[in-house]
Amino acid sequence: MQIFSKDLTFLIGVASVIFLIAPVSLIAFVMLYNSRKKRHEQEKEWLKTNFENELLKSQMEVHEQTMQNVASTLHDNIGQLLSLLVVTLSTIKSDQPLRVPEKVDSATELAKRSIKELRQLSRLMYGQELIRMGLAEAIAFELDYLKTAGLHTIRFHNNYRSKEGQTDKEIILFRIFQEVLNNAVRHAEATTIDVTIDQNEQYLELTIKDNGKGFNEKDLLKEKKGMGLFNIRKRVALIAGEVDIITAPENGTEIKIVIPYP
Amino acid sequence: MTAYITLNTASELSCLVISILCLYRDKDPVWRSFILFMLLTCLVELSGIYLRNRHLPNFMLYNVFLVIECAVLNYFFYHLFKANHNLKKLLTGWLILFIIFYFIELYVKHFNAYVSVSSTIVSVELILASVYYYYLLLKEEKFRQLWKDAPFWWVNGTICFYFAGIACNIFFKYLLQDKTPQASSANYIVFSVLNVILYSCWSYSFICRYFQRTSPSS
Repeated sequence: MQIFSKDLTFLIGVASVIFLIAPVSLIAFVMLYNSRKKRHEQEKEWLKTNFENELLKSQMEVHEQTMQNVASTLHDNIGQLLSLLVVTLSTIKSDQPLRVPEKVDSATELAKRSIKELRQLSRLMYGQELIRMGLAEAIAFELDYLKTAGLHTIRFHNNYRSKEGQTDKEIILFRIFQEVLNNAVRHAEATTIDVTIDQNEQYLELTIKDNGKGFNEKDLLKEKKGMGLFNIRKRVALIAGEVDIITAPENGTEIKIVIPYP
Repeated sequence: MTAYITLNTASELSCLVISILCLYRDKDPVWRSFILFMLLTCLVELSGIYLRNRHLPNFMLYNVFLVIECAVLNYFFYHLFKANHNLKKLLTGWLILFIIFYFIELYVKHFNAYVSVSSTIVSVELILASVYYYYLLLKEEKFRQLWKDAPFWWVNGTICFYFAGIACNIFFKYLLQDKTPQASSANYIVFSVLNVILYSCWSYSFICRYFQRTSPSS
């Protein structure tokens, strides 16, 4: 095939330009991809900071909840018992010797109950450390504390096995549990609470079911009263979990949280 | 004297000066070796012009330089990939294969022409190495500041030069037949532009290397 000089010049020029465009495009692609990597790294960093903030907030809230429980136990239980003890002791009179043993026995009984309550209180204060021993321990302890009031029927089933490196997730999940339990007791006025931890190789499912008043989630969010629910959803999302809320007015509430637990 | 000052020699000489200024105190001998390589490139280019002006063939000069070029560039790629893979055997194997092919081509051409096929093969191999470098870069999880990354700019210059240069290598046979000034000037212009791209990228790479070495965070 005969190629003329003009054609050859044109061919060389065109081919060189095309052959130059290819590596330049490749370089542009590599640079673009690299800048995306930077954005991804920044997003990861932001997520990490967000997670750490939320974790810290959860820890503080667990602590705050414990303090609230301590305050209410001191006021409602120990305070009342000690007041009663003081009243009992003040009624002991030296001119009624026959009634003294009975009153002393009564005072002793009140003092013993106060000591028992105090012991429980100390365990409660230690309770926020229980999360370090495992989620089920902490939940069981929280439920035990609620049981002492004798106002609720509580059932707790679990097949929980602690796994290493999941403490942060457990703290957040425990705080969510506290929030749900608070809602059930204070707002829903539930009398029966069922808590279940169902764990397999990859996931952990926490279910909290009560027979309380229930609610309409949409109405609650419309009235901007659903901040607790909003926080629950946000925190579950933060630990890459999913939350399912089944509720209706006067029909109780069932909250199911599934988180990856490898 | 003016015959020696061309776009090619100017870009090569400025790259040599930059390499001396930036790499002279570099701790890495592989990077430092570019001073020698650039010096050799300039000498070859000037000698080529000298021979051409005396109407003497200069292809043998470029034939010998091709071997050095192939060895230096491949060794530098080997140096870049060293952190990820040990390609010592592959490098040795490839160099042996290239030398065999190179001498076969020389023999076939009766030691009387430029080894254009060997040159094309080296170009293809260097393009593949560059693409593999990009692949490793994309695979890396960590973000790199590519604007200041010395190896990245070195590879950019290399891939642009050898990729676009293939076009001229493909038409080399026709260029030999066509002795008109149009054809040879097209080839000359393309290679001049490619040389400017190559040595600009390399110069920038050497400057990046200098700042990388002297910056407090390095």
